Amino acid sequence: MRLMVNAEVHILAITGHETLLTVLRDRLQLTGTKLACGRGECGACTVLVDGRLAYSCLTLAAGCQGRAITTIEGLGQPGNLHPLQQAFIDLDALQCGFCTPGQIMAAAALLAENPAPTQDDIRSAMSGNLCRCGAHPKITRAVEAAAAVLRTASARGATDAA
Amino acid sequence: MPRSPEDPAVTGEPAAAPRRFSVTKVEVEGREEMKIVELPDLEPPPWNEDARLTIVGQRVPRADALEKVTGHARYTADLHRPGMLHAAFLRAPIASGCVVRLDPARALALPGVRGALLTGDVPGITHMGAPLFDTTIHWAGQPLAAICADTPQLAREACALVELEVEPLAHAVTVRAALAAGAPLVRPAGNIPRNQPRITTRGHADAAVAGADIVITREYRTPCAVHTPLEPHGTVAEWIGDDLTVWESTQGIFQVRKDIARAFRLPLNRIRVMKDYMGGGFGAKNYAAANTFTAIALARKLGRPVRCILDREGEQTDAGNRAASIQRVTLAAARNGTLSAISADVTVAYGYSGWFASPAKIFHELYQCPNVTTRESFIYLNTGAMDSFRAPGHTEGAFALECAMDALAHELGIDPLELRRRNYAARDQDKKRPYSAKHLDRCYAEGEERFEWTRRRVEAAATRVNGARRRRGVGMASQIWTAGGGPPAYATVRLNPDGTVDVLTGAQDLGTGSRTIFAQIGAEALGARLADVRTVLGDTERTPYAGNSWGSITTASVGPAVRVAALQARGRVLEAAAEMLEVDGSRLLLIDSVVSVAGDDRTMTLAQIGRKLGDVMIMGQGSRGANPSDTAICAFAAQFAEVEVDVETGQVRVLHITSAHDSGRIINPTLAESQLEGGIIQGLGYALFEERIMDERLGISMNPNTHDYKIPTIGDIPVIDAFFVSSSDVVANHTGARGIAEAPIIPTAPAIANAVADALGVPVEEIPLTPWRVLALLRHQT
Repeated sequence: MRLMVNAEVHILAITGHETLLTVLRDRLQLTGTKLACGRGECGACTVLVDGRLAYSCLTLAAGCQGRAITTIEGLGQPGNLHPLQQAFIDLDALQCGFCTPGQIMAAAALLAENPAPTQDDIRSAMSGNLCRCGAHPKITRAVEAAAAVLRTASARGATDAA
Repeated sequence: MPRSPEDPAVTGEPAAAPRRFSVTKVEVEGREEMKIVELPDLEPPPWNEDARLTIVGQRVPRADALEKVTGHARYTADLHRPGMLHAAFLRAPIASGCVVRLDPARALALPGVRGALLTGDVPGITHMGAPLFDTTIHWAGQPLAAICADTPQLAREACALVELEVEPLAHAVTVRAALAAGAPLVRPAGNIPRNQPRITTRGHADAAVAGADIVITREYRTPCAVHTPLEPHGTVAEWIGDDLTVWESTQGIFQVRKDIARAFRLPLNRIRVMKDYMGGGFGAKNYAAANTFTAIALARKLGRPVRCILDREGEQTDAGNRAASIQRVTLAAARNGTLSAISADVTVAYGYSGWFASPAKIFHELYQCPNVTTRESFIYLNTGAMDSFRAPGHTEGAFALECAMDALAHELGIDPLELRRRNYAARDQDKKRPYSAKHLDRCYAEGEERFEWTRRRVEAAATRVNGARRRRGVGMASQIWTAGGGPPAYATVRLNPDGTVDVLTGAQDLGTGSRTIFAQIGAEALGARLADVRTVLGDTERTPYAGNSWGSITTASVGPAVRVAALQARGRVLEAAAEMLEVDGSRLLLIDSVVSVAGDDRTMTLAQIGRKLGDVMIMGQGSRGANPSDTAICAFAAQFAEVEVDVETGQVRVLHITSAHDSGRIINPTLAESQLEGGIIQGLGYALFEERIMDERLGISMNPNTHDYKIPTIGDIPVIDAFFVSSSDVVANHTGARGIAEAPIIPTAPAIANAVADALGVPVEEIPLTPWRVLALLRHQT
């Protein structure tokens, strides 16, 4: 099958029961997406499928043909970070970092739907992403900060276009 | 002082050379040990309060944040080695009994399954107090065999094909069951370890209780909490000839190396243990365990690298926990609130093995009190072993002691904060020694002010009108924890020809920030730009020894070694620069990677010096010196909580936590505050949600997953105002820093419980405060 991950097409022979998480991690070596519970309870495996949040541990890879998958590696890279990644660094919204890719992807899904989330919106959208180190207060602030950066950028884009 | 070959200490001649080795006392997680210390070449003057530091104390970003936000940070489970296989465990489905038959033939027949590890394949190796793959079953979840296959999924599927026949025996998974008449024996010698109860006494508590103005007795219960790091325990092992390389998610690379050497009878220099990134430990990852031994043994047997990562159920049942406790506490006091006696009977639901983390210790430490007696019994159970979990013992004990203090304040009609001030311990009475520094009084004062203790108390009281559904309450608690660290700990600081600098030390960064702060200390002491300094950790082959990252010891143990190494490197740089610039070394300054000459406009950068030196490598070696004798070195804090309780649903919401900490000099306030917030949030989970639930009849855990074992989510987080009141502690060590990590979790549960008691007007004596427990409290009230 054809699997499009981070705008690259991969031709893979996939068995029916393989999860998207396994394919990303073990076949494509995209290990930024993490396995922590394997049952959709913790959010460490969060990716975007056609721009919407998906737990890759509960998503069958075979069902992703023709869809655009974005992982943390595709969101932004050193030198070209996504505003969420930059905000997580600036506001120290992480400690061990294991849940961080999932947190950032969940936040990206939120901001795609809601460019100006309130703190309650953030809490509600991100409550499926566990963090055992307790970075939550700073995660909330980082998502707010990144949302503001993205809004400014899109306003500037609109002005430039006009 | 640098030693020359003529130095008698080097040539071995008996002479009055300064002593090289000494002994010093080191306290880790409440356990005291005498350690041999190799005295450093120089013991620099402490960075006191007036020291002009430009990098230490700054809020610089976390050194490894970029790797973490881009998904590039490689954790143990992210490593792929050529030809790597995957191991999974078959675990005991019952709590007690024996294996009658275990036949892996059907599993091994599956295409892609490469081998198995059974009882007898790993002789002499133990895991959690029992032989690995024992045929006697001591707890549900105990590993019975391991299967190795091409993929982790296949290994797990194959485990399900192993034919397993067990003969169950009666089990005891609760204290009540283990102490009942005719209880099944968890251990052949009985369910209570020898020499218990363990009695610790000062003064005469019974006499003081008999003569006191007021006496209260309460019984408190704390749950079994599970560490639940997001990244489970895991290992990748690879043999090349007789050389073994192990990547381990661990808090102690040198400890794991020692454990492996002992288990497999290998020379230490044939084992390399590495830990680059890890997804949390919290005390559960201090030693080699079943995953380590299994990966190594299978890799040797099959001649291929093997990865063994616990699944979530394995992590929750067989990787340690904070044991449950029952604590019967008696406080005796004068009318003015002055404590005259503390007496406690503590029973710990210990599990099959572990170590005796003492809930009672804090009863002897936190308050001024002449008469203290505690009796502790640790009861063996057919449940997974306990293991250190962030401030083991103190977190459990603080809940009982600090709730009892509030009960006493209530009985006496004294403000709970005032009661604590009246019982302030200016010295360590237990060991009759001073504290290196203690600013708990400042924690009380600044916490009280920032929390607005009086205003919130009055306003909360106003919400508790008849018929009100949401009632607010406030509470507080305080904390003490040993945080002095100590030797041995080593560091090397290396100048590269391009002027960049490596700080090498065998410590670990668990997410705490040690990578960042060692670079800060190294840059400060050397005089380098922070951007030029990189810390290398977590590799027994590349880095000199540092101990486990546990017991809040890393900063205070390794920091001074880094500083000494950097100072030694600085001395050598300046010697080289003096010759290059043909000036007296005393006229040179080294700041921001630039050497300048006093009274002269000539300068040389570190890069210019490095280039001129060619491949001469300037290296400084540093070690951690002795601790001050007869001194207690501790972290202190006062925490204040406001909660809102919905009396119809029983739901508790924590609204606000103020936490004032005294931990000496803070190397990086941002990272330190992150750690405080993390400890408080784990404490909030302990107070409200976290509880391993055992089915008494089946003997198994009912919630070995992250859905039914509830840890706090972002939706549960209050406003947290966590800060430091402290200043440099020049008695503790020459960096002035003490530990941080464990302090914040200790007072959180009692502060929240006291706030809930305030909201409801009913004493709280058991956590977690789940809705049904809160509703039971309310029924009890009416």
